Amino acid sequence: MKTLFSTILVALLSLVTSAQADTLDDIRKAGTVRIAIDTAIPPFGMTDDNMQPAGSDVDTARLLAEDLGVKLEIVTTTGPTRIPTLQTNKADLVVSTLSITPDRAKVIDFSIPYADHPSVVGALKGLAISSYADLAGKKVAVVRGTTQDTDLTREAKGAQLVRYEDDATMALAFASGQVDILATARSLLPAISKKNPARTAESRITMQTNYLAIGLRKNEPALKAWVDNWVKTNLQNGKLGAIYKKWHGVDIPVDQLLKVGG
Amino acid sequence: MRAVQKTMSYTFDFSFLAERWPDFVAGAWLTVQLTVVSIALGLAVGTVCALLRVYGNRWVRTPVGAYVELIRNTPLLVQIFIVYFGLSSLGLKLSAEVSAVIALVVNMGAYSTEIMRAGIQSIQRTQLEAADCLGLTRLQTIVHVVLLPAMERVYPALTSQFVLLMLASSITSQISTEELTATANLVQSDTYRSFEVYIIVAVVYLALSVLYRFAFWLIGLVLFARKRKLGTAL
Repeated sequence: MKTLFSTILVALLSLVTSAQADTLDDIRKAGTVRIAIDTAIPPFGMTDDNMQPAGSDVDTARLLAEDLGVKLEIVTTTGPTRIPTLQTNKADLVVSTLSITPDRAKVIDFSIPYADHPSVVGALKGLAISSYADLAGKKVAVVRGTTQDTDLTREAKGAQLVRYEDDATMALAFASGQVDILATARSLLPAISKKNPARTAESRITMQTNYLAIGLRKNEPALKAWVDNWVKTNLQNGKLGAIYKKWHGVDIPVDQLLKVGG
Repeated sequence: MRAVQKTMSYTFDFSFLAERWPDFVAGAWLTVQLTVVSIALGLAVGTVCALLRVYGNRWVRTPVGAYVELIRNTPLLVQIFIVYFGLSSLGLKLSAEVSAVIALVVNMGAYSTEIMRAGIQSIQRTQLEAADCLGLTRLQTIVHVVLLPAMERVYPALTSQFVLLMLASSITSQISTEELTATANLVQSDTYRSFEVYIIVAVVYLALSVLYRFAFWLIGLVLFARKRKLGTAL
């Protein structure tokens, strides 16, 4: 019985773990880089009119694969499963609005940042919300496991957090009137407001500015060096800035990002 | 185990349980509450609909049939979204828990209608005639001659459906009910111990399923006197 159990355990484990190897080397050998992207967070990742992945993270992943000289395989993921997807070797990299946080840095490595990403508390037009204290006793929608979730849990003690699984569901909850307040990325507010013109979301509290980076498994020095250098090069030559501008309509603060990235 | 840890890069770490176990208990408790209410109400809906489907006239049979087919041929997740987001768009704002129960009752009702219908149709006409001869009232006939024996015959199928509903309630996490699966997603996103968290949740669901089956077995013993006395079903 014990042998059977350990056999099953080993089989299970081998499903979720990878041999300790050089992923950069593996990618080149395979001729394919697997990049995890959440395609339910426009305009970072979404599905376009032809049902193809599109968005700034998708374009970033395409550029990266092109420069690496390999084919791109997009691994569709969701917000809460981004890190497990990487940890369990279902993807080589995560390019999916992944903010750098100390908690996450304990389990995965980050490249230098490739974009900034301010989080805000948005409220229905006409609602008097201007500080965390105003949120007391009110329903506030967040996406489970995001930095907004963590920050609001800590900062807005009296608020009643309503947790959804992804941005699309949260946006629908706002548009359909289930919630009047939501904490999300500033970049999402226009898209959310467009769903129901009668219910416009306005930015009220700026929570914090996060930096988005490419996530990779720990102990991958060769891959990390390559990705860091790639981000730096493409920030300097303006290619990453052009992608951001195309999808978000704003410039990324290149100097600030390079400074944060060291 | 040591050999495993040496060759594999994954190390199990359940230490977060010390701090987070009350979350799992709260999640499991909400799952139990949601499903017990849904099972009770759903079975009531199903029993009434089954009687209408067998004994009702065409004007009753058709809408009940349409309800059953509509629910059995659409995904539960879609039904949950329609109740939660759809009714809210129409101005009826229900909480996630109430929406979940409504959707689960509607779903359970449709499936149990079909199961109960099979049981009711297995009751022979001669039984009804015998009840008539004995002078039982219409209500007495329906309860004692039709429903209880019918339910006894399909009880295993009903029990399976109850357990399935309990497991299916996990998808109500999508509309923000903080039940067991939602709790798992939350703890997983805080601790990043996804493998461990889902192993725990699988074990809890398994335990709940066994508990439910045991409870329904006990209820069956109370409900069906013949089975209790003879140790056999009809």
